[in-house]
This record gives sequence, C-alpha cells and structure tokens, in this order.
Amino acid sequence: MPNILIVAPILFPFILSALLFLNDWEEKTRNRWILWGIILNFFILIFNFSVLEVNRIHILKFNEFVDIYFKIDMIGIVFSLLVSFLWILTAFYSIGYMAHERKPNRFFIFFTATLGVTIGIALAGNLVTLYLFYELLTLFTFPLVIHAGNETALKAGYKYLIYSFTGATLSLFGMFMIYSQTQNLDFMPGGILNVINENEIFYYFTAYALTFCGFGVKAGLVPFHSWLPSAMIAPTPVSALLHAVAVVKSGIFALVRITYYIFGPALILMIKGNHFALALILITILTGSFLAIHQTNLKKRLAYSTISQLGYIMLGLVVFNPNSFTGGMLHMIFHALIKITLFFCVGAIMHITGKTEIHEIQGLGKQLPKLMWCFSLSAVALIGIPPTSGFVSKWYLATGGLQSGSFIIPVVLLLSALLTAGYLLPIITIAFFKPIPNGEPVYQEPLPFMLIPIMILTGIVLLIGLFPNPIINVLETIANTVI
Amino acid sequence: MELITSFPLAEIFILFISAFLMPFFKKDKHIKIISISFLLIAFILSVFTLMFVFQNGPFYYAAGHIDTILGIQLYIGPVEALLSFVFLFVFILVVWFSFSTIDAEIQENRIKLFYIMVNLLAASILGIIFTNDIFNGYVFIEVAALTSCGIVVVKETQENIKAALKYLIMSTIGSGLILMGIAFIYAFTGHLNIELIHQVVLEDHETFQKSLLITVALFTAGLGVKSAMFPLHTWLPDAHSSAPTASSALLSAIVLKAFAFFLIKILYRMIGFDLVNQFSILTIILILGCCGMIFGSLSAIFQKNIKRLIAYSSIAQMGYVFFGIGLGSPFGAAIAVYHMVGHAVTKSALFMCSGLMIEETGHKTIDRYKGLGHEMPITFALFTLGAFSMIGIPILPGFISKWYLSLECIHLDKLLLIFVVLSSSLLNAVYYFPILINGFFGIENLQDKEYRSKKVPVKKTIPIAILILAMILIGALSKNILDFISPEFGL
Repeated sequence: MPNILIVAPILFPFILSALLFLNDWEEKTRNRWILWGIILNFFILIFNFSVLEVNRIHILKFNEFVDIYFKIDMIGIVFSLLVSFLWILTAFYSIGYMAHERKPNRFFIFFTATLGVTIGIALAGNLVTLYLFYELLTLFTFPLVIHAGNETALKAGYKYLIYSFTGATLSLFGMFMIYSQTQNLDFMPGGILNVINENEIFYYFTAYALTFCGFGVKAGLVPFHSWLPSAMIAPTPVSALLHAVAVVKSGIFALVRITYYIFGPALILMIKGNHFALALILITILTGSFLAIHQTNLKKRLAYSTISQLGYIMLGLVVFNPNSFTGGMLHMIFHALIKITLFFCVGAIMHITGKTEIHEIQGLGKQLPKLMWCFSLSAVALIGIPPTSGFVSKWYLATGGLQSGSFIIPVVLLLSALLTAGYLLPIITIAFFKPIPNGEPVYQEPLPFMLIPIMILTGIVLLIGLFPNPIINVLETIANTVI
Repeated sequence: MELITSFPLAEIFILFISAFLMPFFKKDKHIKIISISFLLIAFILSVFTLMFVFQNGPFYYAAGHIDTILGIQLYIGPVEALLSFVFLFVFILVVWFSFSTIDAEIQENRIKLFYIMVNLLAASILGIIFTNDIFNGYVFIEVAALTSCGIVVVKETQENIKAALKYLIMSTIGSGLILMGIAFIYAFTGHLNIELIHQVVLEDHETFQKSLLITVALFTAGLGVKSAMFPLHTWLPDAHSSAPTASSALLSAIVLKAFAFFLIKILYRMIGFDLVNQFSILTIILILGCCGMIFGSLSAIFQKNIKRLIAYSSIAQMGYVFFGIGLGSPFGAAIAVYHMVGHAVTKSALFMCSGLMIEETGHKTIDRYKGLGHEMPITFALFTLGAFSMIGIPILPGFISKWYLSLECIHLDKLLLIFVVLSSSLLNAVYYFPILINGFFGIENLQDKEYRSKKVPVKKTIPIAILILAMILIGALSKNILDFISPEFGL
C-alpha cells in the first residue's frame, strides 16, 4: 500500500472544508456532505490502521528540523479514533444546534477543518509536526470561539489567542533547548534523551518546565487556565469540542508526547521534573473543583469542572507508574465521553428553554426527562460512583499513586471526588426535586439530531464503565512500552 | 567565463545609464517601460552571476582592470550574489506594482523623477553590495541616501517634506560618521580596499587598537542610523509611512538591508571575526538589536496607521538582523543575511498589500479595516500570509530565522537571549493578529460603511502574489540558502 494514505484522514477534512467554502450548498445538501464526509473520514482512519504496512511518512523534509513527519503508533491510534468518533456525534448535534444560529456555513467550514488538524496532532511523528498542528489548532478554533461575533466573544477570542500563543512560545523555547542537544525531535517510546551529565540537570529541568507549562496552557493547567472559562462564549457544540476532545485533549496529548516520547520517565525522575509538575497539577485539581462550586452558570460550572478533571489526567502522566499511566489515559477517554455529553445536555437546555443559570432549571427533570436523565447518569459517572466509568479510571489513578508511595494523591483524589459531587449533584436535585415554577411553558424534548447523539453517548458512558477491559488492555500495552 | 565576471559591474552601469536615459523621454509610459526593462536586464545578469558563483565560488573583479591598490575592486561572493539577485527581484516586482498605483499617489509631473530615482537607487544598492572598496562604498551610500530621500519627497505633501528632511538630516549625519571612519582607517592603514585593510589590521592591530575601536564605532553608528538601528531609528516611521507605497516597500525591504549588509562587510571582512570579538562593540550591537526587537514591536502595538505599524515592525525586524550580527559568531551573521533575504520579500509584500488597502478604502487607520477580508479577499489573504511569516508560523522564513537564532543562542550559551527572540515574536502576534481578525471576522462593522470598490483588479495583486510565493520558497529552501551563504563566513 502506498504510505501516502497515512495523510488521507488529515487532508480529507481540509478538502471537505474547502468544498464547504467554495460551494454555496443548500442546508440539506450541506448537512449530507458534512455527515458523510466525517463518517467517511472515520472509516479511512480505521482502514489505515488495519491495512497499512508502512506506518511512517516524511511529507516534507526541508532540513533536519523542519521535517513534517507522520507516524502511526498505538497512542496516536487511540487518540485519533476517539477524536473522529466524537466528531461524528458532534456533527449530528451541531446540525441540530446550528439550525437557528447565525452563519452556520462558517461554523462548519472551521468545524471540519479542525478535525483534520486534530488528527494531525494525533499522528504527528515528531515534535515539530506536532507543534505546527498545535499552532494550526489555535488558528482554526479561533473563529469557532468568536462565532457569536459580539464584543465579549472577540475579547474571549483574543484571550484564547494570547494564552495559546504564549504557551506555544514557551514550548518552542523548550524545543530549542532539546533540539540543540539531540538534533532530533522524533518521538520514541521511552524518550530520546537518555544519557545526561549531572551538571546538565538544571538545563533539562528548565526545558521540561517550559514545555510542560507551554503545552499545559491548552490542557487547562492552573495558573494558565483562565482562557478556558472565557471561551465558554462559543456555541455549545464548540465548547463541547474544545473541552472534551479537540483543544484540551490535544494539550494533554502533547504532554504525553513530551513526557514519554521525548524526555522519558527516567530522565524526568532524575531531573525531578515530576515534583514541579505534580505541585501544579494538584493545585489544578483543587482550584478547578473549588471554583466550579461557585459558578451559577451551567456552562461555566462545567468549564471549571473540566480544569479539575484535566488535572486527574495529567496526574496520571507524571507519577510514572504503569497503573497511573493507564488511569490517566483512561480518564482522558472517559472524560472526553462524559464531558461532551454534559455539554450537549446543557446546550440542548439552552437551545430549548434559553436557560443558562442553575437556579433557573427548577423542575426541568419532569419536563425534559430523557435529557435530564442522560445528564444525571453522565454526572454520576464523572463523580466516580461505582460501577461507572469515572470510578474505574480513578481507581487506577489511586492505586498507581499508592504504589509509587505517595499518599497525597489518593487523598486529593477523594477530596476532589467529593467536590465533584458537590458541584454536579445540586444541578440534578434542582432539576428533579424542585417544583416547576408557575407560568412555565411546556417544553418539547430536543430534536432527534440533538437527542440521539446524547443518548448514544450516555449509553457508551455506561457500557464502558461496566466493560472497560478491552480499553484497559490496549492502554496497558502502551504503558508497558513507554515506562 | 571572463564575461560573466564583468556582469556585476554591468548591472550597476546599466541601471545608471537607464536613469540618465529617462529624461530624454516625454511620455510616462515610455519611462515606465525603460525603468522595468533595464531592471529586468540587470536581474537576468544577476541570475547568471548567481549561477556562476554557485558553480565556481567567489570572484574578484577589478573595475577597468587597474591595479587593486589604486583601482576599484568588486568582490562577489555567495552572499553578494544572492542579495543582488533577491533585491533586484523585489525591485522589479515593486516597480511592476507601482505602475498601477503610482499615478494616484504622486503628481503627474513627478512620475519621471520617481522612476529615475528608483533606478539610481537600484544601481547604488548594487554598488554597496558588490564593492570591495570602502570609499567607493561611501559614494554609493551617498547616492542611495539621496535617492531614497528623493522617493519619499516625490509625493509633495507637507508631511512628506518634513519626513524627508528628517531622514535627510539623520542620514547625512550617518554619512558623516562613515566618512570619518573611512578617514581614520585610511590614516593608519593607507588602504581603502577591504582585503588590503584586513591584512594590515591583522598584522599590527595592536599598535592602533584604540583607533580601530573608534573606527568600528563610527561605522556602526553611521550605518546604524541608516539601517534604523534602535535608538537611531526615529526617522524611519515618518519616512516610510508618508512615502508612496512603492517607495515604502523599497525603503523598508531593501535600502535598510543594504546598509546593514555593509556593516557586516566592515565588521567581518574588513576587521575580521576574531578581532571584532575582542571589542565590546558587538555586545552593544546585540543589546541594541534586542531593544529594537522589543521596542519596535511595542511601539507598533500602539499604531493606528497601518503603514506606521508596518514601519515599526521593520525596526523590530532590523533588530533581528542586528541580533544576528551581534551574536559575534559566523553562523549568527549568516542568519542575519538569511533574515534580510526573507524580510526583504515579506516586508515589500506587506507594504504593497497595505497600499492597496489604503487605496481601496481611502482610510489609513486599521480600525477602518474591519471586514476587509470579505471586501478584498485576495489582497487580504496575501497580507495574512506575510503577517504569518512575521509572527513566526513554522516553515515561513520568519520562523526559520527565529529558530536558527535561538539555536545559535543555545550554542553560544546565551540562553536568556531566547526569551528576547520569543517574546518579540509574541509581540509581533499581538499587533498583526487584530488586523487579521478584524479583517476576517469583524464583518458586523461593515454595515454602515461603503467601500469605494469591491474588488482589487487581479493584475494589481500579481506582483504581491509572486513575492509571497517567493517568501514560501525562501522558507522551504532555508537549508540550501544557509548552506550556500555560510562558507562566506568561514563555516
């Protein structure tokens, strides 16, 4: 097989986006193109993974550093499949959601292009390619963030840009430092920086701290998180994507790449980079949870919850224990599924009732039972009550933490689980147990375009909590190659 | 073979001759044809020169075959050949662009003068690049200074005359400093030829250590004024923003670079790497370069007028060049040259785009450009690509200069300097992005505004498109370009 096919799932969304840009299709035709295109892309991806023998391709090798290079490896497969699967559901949901919003065409042009960018991040074979797509991700999601087009949206957009570019610049600094030592930035399981001198510890520590903070900006690392709640101004499908898959998970994915495929666990332990990272991450988990409790806006509460949950994932990455790694990656997948469901539900509530505040949704559980049940089940899964999926990932995280001899990790996990319950359960109780206020109109359940993705996702969230083993097996294989 | 070695001189002569031919023609159309056709001939000759240097390496050419001690000598190495090639390329495209815009910008009876000045400028720039004789270089510098004032003042408004006077005064002071430097070096070496001076300097620099330092300082300050080294840049924003678009493009993209390149010649070929590193002058250049990178960008953030903004951005970009020079390593100088090449192409394209925007909207301030990306999509898309290079999106030349500069900083153990490079690149994003965002997404602001025209004719944007294409190529071929010019600096 020609290995040029590797780039097909990256290029195809761009072609689709260009088609949307060039043709002024009617709504129905457009929707058909988007849906079939995105579904087709998912199958191209699967086809690639199952058929291709050669798993790497150098697209453009200008010189030894500007080397656009894609490689298929296990973790890339996991991430890209997750992304493209969620993209299909988001596409269905967006078609329902955007039907009455302004400028749906522009939305879908950037929506499809972002899919290509994200898969590019997943399949990037070296840090430069990853960096390139990481910058592109900022550029392509920016129009989605400012989609509302008003002053607030533009301000949030600028904030997003400034944070993202500052972060990317920091990581670029780190990249310079690594590159000048290795002359090579290809990803290798276990890292490319194996042997270092004692007196270089500070140098590598700086490099790690810079790249970690840099990519941490997109991963919602406190104190670089403040763009994330502001970006809530975007339409809900975008918020869902930003939070659940595309942006923050790309940040996480980049962190995985630099931690396990560039620096390598052994080196980071030697330079004590994990202490630095761990401190920031624990702060992230707690700050996110505490701030979430104070939010009265539904989307904002979910946004801060994302920050805290991302903290869990990063926690799994810096303990350097196979269980923790598995737990972190599991939580990445589960959180993606759960958070996108929660956002879809909130978006549907806004879409149907126009309500955005928590105290406004009194009695909504009786009016929109299907929707609110989906919301509640996903919320329970996020809190981590057994036997839901959140419990499985947190279990792995906690055991990993204990195995590496750290008691603070399980304690913080438990505390934060309580806090998670503290900010999610009130939403459920208000919706289900408060009476419907007088004079409230009767609401219809959302359109099938919106409701079906939500129900499918809830189903998956529940199923995956009961039968997590196939995924755990895959992740454990990865964990054993990198640690 | 012998013939090709005379091409560089021929390029200079042809352009001078073309300038003297023009007064004999009456119609503007003929003048334009003469201007561009002679530039084209010079460009073709420069292509041959470049190929020749690529195959046979650097060569000397004694003008008039007089003995080198008395006569004027040209030296054409890879850098010289490359710069002359790129600069003539930009010259041709800017002149092509000016055909469709200059009529609207300056009075009709000044058009002839403008093209005479442009061709004289091109000739003198080539002279500065090729010459191996500092006094000869001085003559060309003076011609370049006067003609570049000329292409500013050719638009006769009060603003232009003020700006040109400021430029003229500062630039004359610069010339004076350079002349003093030449006098000094001649006094204690007895030579004007760069190579001969280098030999004398190498042999007994210890006897005139102080004088040598003064000379270098004089050259640095003199050429620093002309190439807008911070804090001697104050003339630049006025001159570049008030001039006709084509002039701004030439001044920003080419004239500044030629002087900076002459400084490289003085520092690295006349004095030599080893010796120059003993003086603190390089540190000063480095610090001033850093200041330029930061303050140029900071000032640009507060500019409302698009051409002033781009002019301040030029100061920042020249900061990169001085940064490269000031690193004091051969590779640093090579990156400085690479940055000149990349920036020459990018900045001229940006100025030309901004010229079209001003022409089509009738406004100079950027807050009027909201939604412009929908009004003139091609121009704005080209502007976006150029701005991306300035910001430092990978593969484009701006990114590559930054990358290599940062690597060189690490190599020289000057880690903190990377902060300067990266923060300057962030600052670039801070002032370019709002323009792009407002252009593409600020469409709400279009409603109660009427633009005079909906679309720019394609033929006006072709030269810009070619420049942007060249910019991408320069980015893509960065490795080859650097490999080609590095031997010049002893790598």
